Amino acid sequence: MLNILIVGAGQCGNRILDSINNKAFGGGRFSKYYSKQKFPSRVETIAVNTAINDLKEMQYTKAKDRLHIPHLHGVGANRIVGKQCFIDNKDLIMRTISERGNFDVAFVITSSSGGTGSSFSPSLIKELKNEYDFPVYGVVILPFREEGTIYLQNSAFCLKEMHNSGTDGIILGDNQFLKYAGTDIQSAYDGINSMVAERMLFLLEALDSEMMMVTDLGDFKTVMSGGAGIATIGFAKGDGNNSIKSIIQESLSPNGLLFSSNIYEEGSRAMIILRGDRKYLNIDDISGQIDKLSSHIGHVFKGVIIRSGEIPKVLSVITLENTVELESLYTLAVEAIQMEKEKHDRMALQKETGTAFSKIDGLEPQY
Amino acid sequence: MRVDHVVRCNLILIIILILSISTASAFNRYDENIYKGDGYQINNYFIEVFSIKSYEDNRLLTINIYKLKSDGTYEELIVTREIISNKKITKYQDGIVEIIVKEKNCTSTIATVDITALGIDVENFQPVKGGVLKAKFIGEPSLLLTKEVDKTNVEIGDTIRVTIKAKNVGTGPAKGITLNHGTTPGFTFKSAIYTTYPEELAAGNPDYTQMYIYEMEAAQSGTFTLIPATVTYYCSTYDSEYTSNSNSPVITVAKEAVETSILELTVTPDKTELRRGEKVTCTVSVRNTKDVPASTIRLDMIYPYNLTYESGCKDIKIIDNKPVIQESVYGARYENEYDYTFLANEVGIFNITAKVSYKDGVNNIINETTSDMIYVVEGEYDYLKEYPLYVYIAPIIIISVIAGWLFWRRNQFKM
Ligand SMILES: Nc1nc2c(ncn2[C@@H]2O[C@H](COP(=O)(O)OP(=O)(O)OP(=O)(O)O)[C@@H](O)[C@H]2O)c(=O)[nH]1
Ligand SMILES: [Mg+2]
Repeated sequence: MLNILIVGAGQCGNRILDSINNKAFGGGRFSKYYSKQKFPSRVETIAVNTAINDLKEMQYTKAKDRLHIPHLHGVGANRIVGKQCFIDNKDLIMRTISERGNFDVAFVITSSSGGTGSSFSPSLIKELKNEYDFPVYGVVILPFREEGTIYLQNSAFCLKEMHNSGTDGIILGDNQFLKYAGTDIQSAYDGINSMVAERMLFLLEALDSEMMMVTDLGDFKTVMSGGAGIATIGFAKGDGNNSIKSIIQESLSPNGLLFSSNIYEEGSRAMIILRGDRKYLNIDDISGQIDKLSSHIGHVFKGVIIRSGEIPKVLSVITLENTVELESLYTLAVEAIQMEKEKHDRMALQKETGTAFSKIDGLEPQY
Repeated sequence: MRVDHVVRCNLILIIILILSISTASAFNRYDENIYKGDGYQINNYFIEVFSIKSYEDNRLLTINIYKLKSDGTYEELIVTREIISNKKITKYQDGIVEIIVKEKNCTSTIATVDITALGIDVENFQPVKGGVLKAKFIGEPSLLLTKEVDKTNVEIGDTIRVTIKAKNVGTGPAKGITLNHGTTPGFTFKSAIYTTYPEELAAGNPDYTQMYIYEMEAAQSGTFTLIPATVTYYCSTYDSEYTSNSNSPVITVAKEAVETSILELTVTPDKTELRRGEKVTCTVSVRNTKDVPASTIRLDMIYPYNLTYESGCKDIKIIDNKPVIQESVYGARYENEYDYTFLANEVGIFNITAKVSYKDGVNNIINETTSDMIYVVEGEYDYLKEYPLYVYIAPIIIISVIAGWLFWRRNQFKM
């Protein structure tokens, strides 16, 4: 059995973590009162945040698993402040993690654009990699593009820092791309969190070799080490009527992916896990789809979990060689940084020359 | 001396002669027609026309004489037979007893005879069809005498009626019956009601014959065994006299009654149907019905476990958790009422008993009276109580465990 650590940092990370815990209870509001979490492995979840209100909002994560880093109410999207805050509290955070025992793999979930999560996560991964041997993956949620220049700028720096942190891979989700999950911002957040949580749980199951005879953590590591260290996850669920072929295709399509990508073009390695009743899992169809994908991108790991009576589900993990979407995000980010810089310079200049206050420089009040 | 002796001997002879004549005078039946095979019984002797045989014009009659025995058998007696002028004379003799049967006429089926019996005190004689086999032994009489009283527990001055009855349970008739009703000291004879008893009682009647009825008055207190009535009677067949005694009833004569007090009790509940948890009030009324006071009165209530005594009138004291009233005297014709209130704590049917004990002047008396049945039905919410305790406790435990779990679990997820 694997020992898995999942850290949710910042509001976005906390809420996705809470959604994972909720789903592990079986979903539903009151499931925590009557059921046990059904993680396939030993899973420790830790929520980290500077904003206590965000932590208090969580419902399915035990209070002992919520770590508050006192720093007023968040770091206000300022990554510099965030990084300093992490350094100040590094010992507390690392001790909290080490108290949870040994791990075989860790995931750090965060938004790329906020203050706390986006600055803590790269630092935390770096610390974990320094201290431990196990692979550490970042699960990073990109912002809505219209959220503003600071968020774009933060995302660009966060991703870069995380990439350099020594992580074993970054799994991307994109709020902008997944906007369709809800009609308003709140329901979109909930929908996206639930999508990410569902995929994470399936992934955990696929990693545990005791559960899965065909793929395991080793395969996952191999997949994640391919490409540019950026990956995303696809998922699709049958309804009992559609063929496994179409379900696999859906998991690889924009409908199933967490991040906009043409994986046949951009994919590098992939792992596809199928789960469901034997009657839905036509081996020829599956092989056909896997062959098709591997002929485009290269190696594809395949795992099949037979669960009698279950409708089929497909999870795909794909690492990307290059990504058009990320390119355009960085283009936007550069513009944003430029804009912020100009604004900054202008303000600095104004501060020196043009403000109304400077008019009385050198004068003294006369009485 | 010699003459004296002769005279004395003659005198004795004359007396014997007179006695013998008087007790054993001759018995004669003339021209008695007896069919062949039939006979004639004289006391326990039996004369039977045994056979009539015919020769040309002559007929030869054979008469047998038997003696009947008490065990139902008979013995053929040895007779002498003579034929004088073509008529047969059959003769039996034993001591002074002599039976002579003289043929007078004879057809082939009927003999006409003269019968003479000497030395027998003939009491019973009759022709018998069927011969000696049909003859019945005449035995001794035996009277059964009973004395009955109409009451056996009386007080001085009371009149008792005594009835004497008799039945002959022997095998022969009882004759010359005389009765002595037997007077018992302590009783005074008042009057004879019925005196005309028969002189003779035949054997074999299964019913008693009323002999004598009289009334007497109890004159002394005590227990008396009455002196039995006596009958004397005789039977000439055996020439003997008999006596029978009746039974002796026992009569207890009490002393004259002393005036005493009597306490009467009634118990009246105010309702006879109530629900569990309701109250019932019983009114006990006590009344001295006599002019003599009662003393050392104690009034107890006897009620079942499903009632609890709640309250009552001021006279009531609680002794051993029970309501008790104690009074030293209830005067003549005294009356009082007491209220008791009980709480019904169980369903059921029961009654309440009031028990009064007192001295009536002579004896210690206990008098008890029981109320009508009181029905206690279930209270409005009683059905709830009927379930065993765990029915209530189990859900409470389950709910508290669940509540505890929810509370603990909620705290686990609360920051
Ligand atoms: N998918 C998803 N995105 C979220 C959620 N909450 C916030 N975000 C996104 O996360 C970004 C903001 O980052 P947060 O995680 O809120 O910020 P933080 O890490 O708490 O940092 P500070 O609050 O600035 O200290 C924005 O782009 C939001 O769109 C959520 O529940 N789900
Ligand atoms: Mg925040």
